[in-house]
Amino acid sequence: MNPINRFEYPEELRPVFRKAKKLEWITVAYLVSTAVVVYLTMGNSQAMKTAWFEDLLSLTPSISFLVASRVFHKKPNKDFPYGYHRVVNIAYLCSALALFCVGAFLIYDSASTLLKQEHPTIGIKVIFGQEVWLGYLMIAAMVYSTVPAMILGRLKLPLAKKLHEKNLYTDADMNKADWMTGAAAIPGILGIGLGWWWADSVAALIISLDIIKDGYTNLKQAVCDLMDQIPKNVDDQKTDPLFQQVRQKLQAQPWVKEHAFRMREDGHIYLGEAFVVPQEETNLMPRLERLAEEIESLNWRIQEFVIMPVSKLPETGNEEGRPN
Amino acid sequence: MQTRLKSIFLLLYTLLFLAGCENYPKDPEKTLEKVTNGTLVVGYSENPPWVVKGAAEPAGIEPELVKAFAKSINASIQWQNDTEQNLLEELEKRKLHVVIAGITDDSPWKSKISFTRPFAEVAKKKHVMAIVMGENAFTIKLETFLNQQKTALENRIRP
Repeated sequence: MNPINRFEYPEELRPVFRKAKKLEWITVAYLVSTAVVVYLTMGNSQAMKTAWFEDLLSLTPSISFLVASRVFHKKPNKDFPYGYHRVVNIAYLCSALALFCVGAFLIYDSASTLLKQEHPTIGIKVIFGQEVWLGYLMIAAMVYSTVPAMILGRLKLPLAKKLHEKNLYTDADMNKADWMTGAAAIPGILGIGLGWWWADSVAALIISLDIIKDGYTNLKQAVCDLMDQIPKNVDDQKTDPLFQQVRQKLQAQPWVKEHAFRMREDGHIYLGEAFVVPQEETNLMPRLERLAEEIESLNWRIQEFVIMPVSKLPETGNEEGRPN
Repeated sequence: MQTRLKSIFLLLYTLLFLAGCENYPKDPEKTLEKVTNGTLVVGYSENPPWVVKGAAEPAGIEPELVKAFAKSINASIQWQNDTEQNLLEELEKRKLHVVIAGITDDSPWKSKISFTRPFAEVAKKKHVMAIVMGENAFTIKLETFLNQQKTALENRIRP
């Protein structure tokens, strides 16, 4: 049984991880540039101020990914005997909370504008001596904040699934939130130009419902992961099929009379332990070692699986972790 | 998803088409339409040299600007004198169109009403006029007018 190693992705996934890191650096640079563009066009507009604040918040997932990526692969040491994997869960929690806040903030902002019947004022800006309606500039800024975010988000999704990176997945959701609010703001601003003062807020309100849904799902999952819930998929919050594979492996052992096992997620990797009641005690040590090895080689994500021989299964009261 | 995307694009094209029409952007309450060839209701509060109280009507930099603006849209002016506080409250209730009182753009009233873009800068203070909120066509008309007066104004303000 190998101790919890210095964790790095398996050979075939390392280029994927490097690509993800590169994408996140691009995302940070791009988001900072949109924040600057929006800041320059915002004028007195409250709506653009909201967009700007949102741009700053949406930096959270990519920054937390980059910070975590410098930490999680460190070797376990005296102070951190389980290694640094959990930093990934913490980064995920930060990202999910940021996404949820963007949604909540957007709902509050658009709903209060509608309730107070605040009519947004969009005046002019003078560019090279030419008076231009600020609305057109805002639309240009929104197009800039929409198309690249859409592409970045799409690129991140498959990487997130391969790397079992929930944080990256949340960042893709954040990019989706970015491009959707940008896309909604365009008809919103055009609507304001038609004299529909409510257009922008209504558009934002519709989009914010979708964002808050994504935020809530991820926030819930991040908290559950930190509470050692059994491993869940990156994309749909369903129990990882690996869990079933481990169970089948344990059931397939003729020398195991009874077993119970549990698993939890530690960042990208899974840790688990099984209690087995052996039929006979001959050859027990090699059998235990081989079984642990076999389970650990099911997938790179199962980093450590401890098997404990017992004469009687512990009373855990844990239905999910016990054989049927 | 396909049909949803299609309907979104359709909506966008319709809006763009409407935006291409004349008189864009428009006012939600049609202020510019009502004021043109009509009456511009202006609140003023003394703040020399920007607004100076006169016998019948105010004088100073800002009243002169407003008078010239009114002339450009063929409107007569109905003056209303009060404290800045009261005037801005009236403006918030949409009972006035413009308030002049030597206001600068760091005023805490910013979120309740709208300001024009600064038309002059003196001692790092950006001077603005307060304007009824969300009437974008009217705002653009006034802001464009103020921008065209810029050189003349700068010459006047320069000590």
